Amino acid sequence: MIKFEHVGLRYGIGPEVLSDINFTLEPGSFHFLTGPSGAGKTSLMSLMFLGRKPTRGLVTMFDQNVNDMDRAKLSKLRQKIGVVFQEFRLLPHLSAFDNVALPLRITGHRESEIKSNVDELLEWVGLGDYKNVLPLTLSGGQQQRVAIARAVIARPKLLLADEPTGNLDDNIGFRLMHLFEQLNRMGTTIVIATHSQSIMEKFGHPRLVLDAGTLHVHEQTSWVQKNIEGVY
Amino acid sequence: MSRFRKNKRLGIADSKGRYDLPLNKSAGSNFMIVLVALMTFLAMMALSATFLLNSVTHHWSSGLENSLTIEIPASDAEGKLRTQDDIAALSKRVQDTLQPFAEINSATALSQEEIQELVSPWLGEDLSIGDMPLPGLISVELNSRNPENLKSITDAVTAIAKDIKIDTHETWLNDILRLAGTLKISASFVTLIIGLTTITAIAGAIRSRMAEHRDDIELLHLMGASDMYITKQLQRHALILTIKGSIFGLGAGLAIIGLMSLLGSSDNPVMPGLSLSIPNTVGLLLLPIAISFIGWITARFTVLRVLGQMP
Repeated sequence: MIKFEHVGLRYGIGPEVLSDINFTLEPGSFHFLTGPSGAGKTSLMSLMFLGRKPTRGLVTMFDQNVNDMDRAKLSKLRQKIGVVFQEFRLLPHLSAFDNVALPLRITGHRESEIKSNVDELLEWVGLGDYKNVLPLTLSGGQQQRVAIARAVIARPKLLLADEPTGNLDDNIGFRLMHLFEQLNRMGTTIVIATHSQSIMEKFGHPRLVLDAGTLHVHEQTSWVQKNIEGVY
Repeated sequence: MSRFRKNKRLGIADSKGRYDLPLNKSAGSNFMIVLVALMTFLAMMALSATFLLNSVTHHWSSGLENSLTIEIPASDAEGKLRTQDDIAALSKRVQDTLQPFAEINSATALSQEEIQELVSPWLGEDLSIGDMPLPGLISVELNSRNPENLKSITDAVTAIAKDIKIDTHETWLNDILRLAGTLKISASFVTLIIGLTTITAIAGAIRSRMAEHRDDIELLHLMGASDMYITKQLQRHALILTIKGSIFGLGAGLAIIGLMSLLGSSDNPVMPGLSLSIPNTVGLLLLPIAISFIGWITARFTVLRVLGQMP
C-alpha cells in the first residue's frame, strides 16, 4: 500500500526535516503516527497525501512510484486518499453539505447519490441540522467533524488524519475513532497522527514514532509505552 | 438547491451559481464585466468604422469607376474663346460620335446652369459667374471599363477637336481608394489591438483570481481534482462574465450606432449615412459571441498554464 525507502525531505535549502525514512504499510492496516511537536509528523503526512514530493528516496503508493508520476495520474491516486487536516481546511463559502460533498463531486458522482450519502453521514456525525450552515459559524469541534466526514465520504483506500480528535470531547472523539475502525474493517488503511495517549492506549494499534526527523515503527504497544515516555 | 435561496439568514449558504471556489464573491468580477463591456464597445466602434469605410469606398468607386467626363475647353487650342453655340455644337458632335459605342450607356451634356452649380462652391456663392467663360461638360456612363474601350473613345473624341479632354477620374479615385484602404487597415489594426488587450486583461484577471484562491485550489488538488475539473469552473466563470460584459458593450454600441444613423444624412453624396447592411449587422451581433469565445479560451489556457506551474 505505502512504501517509503530512504526518504528525505527538506524545505528549500534548510536542513532535512525528515531523513532516511523507511517503512511499509500493508493494505488494511491501522497505525498511529506520533512523536513530539516539530518532529515532522505533518511533513510526513504531506508526503503520504501526495501534497509534496520527497527531496530524496523513493515513495511507492498503491504499488506505483509517485516520484516521477504525471499530474493526471497523481490526481487519480489522490482520489483514493482521504485526508483530515489539522487546521480542517474547509472551504468557507461552501455549506457543511457542499464541503462534505466535494470528494464525490470531484469523482463525478450523481447529485441524488451525493445527497443521500452526505445527508446520512452528516446525521451520523451529529451535524444533520447544520448541513446548510457555513463553516465559520460552526464551532471548532463541529468543523472538525465536517472535515472528518469529508475525508471519509468517498470511502478512501487510505485515510490520513492529522490530530482528528484534537478539538473533540472524549465521547465524540471515541465515537469517531470507532468510525475509523469501522472503515478499517471495511478495508481502508488508516494512519492517524495524534498526541493523545488515551486514544492510542484504548485502541492499541501499532505506532509510527517520529523523533527529530527519523521514524521508528513499533508494533507492540507495551514497547512503545515503555520507550515513548522519554520522548514527551 | 432552491432550499438555500429561501433562507437568507446570516451564515446560511447560498447555493446560487455554486462553484467549489468562491468565484461569485470575488471583487474582480464587476471589474471584468466593465472591462469586457468597454472592449466590446470599442471593438464595435472600430468594426462599424470599417463597415462605414467599406460602404463609402463602394459608394465612391461605384459612382466613378464606370463613368468619365469629357471637357470641351472654354478656349480653343489657339487660346481663342469659344462661344456658347460653338461649345453646344461640339457637345452635340461628341454625343453623336459616342452614340454607336456599345460600352456607353449614356452621354449627357450638362447645361450651363448645372456647370455653374458645380463651380460655384469653388468660386464663392456671391461671385457672379453668369458672364464667365465656362467649358462644356459631357457626363458619360459606361457599362464596362477597360483600357481598350477608353482608348477608342479618346481617339474618336479627339478626332473632333484635339484640345477636348477626357477625365477618367482615375487619379482622384486611386488617391481616395488608397486613403480609404489605409483607414480600413488602421481600423482593423485597432480591432486587433482591442482583441489582444481583451485577451491580456482576461488572462491577468484569471491569474489574479487564481492567486487569490491558491489555497483552495491546492485543497481541491489534494482531494484529487484534476486540472480540468478546476479549469472548467474558472472557464465557466470567465464565460459568464464575458457574456454579461459583451452584452452590455453591445447594447451601448448599438445605441451609439443608432444615434449616429439618426444624426447622419443619407442625402450626402460624398459621405453616405451609417446604415448597416444585414451581413454587417449580423457581424456586429456576433461580436459578443466572438468575445465570449475569446474569454472562454483565454481562461482555459491561462488556468491550465498556471495549474501546470503548481506542485
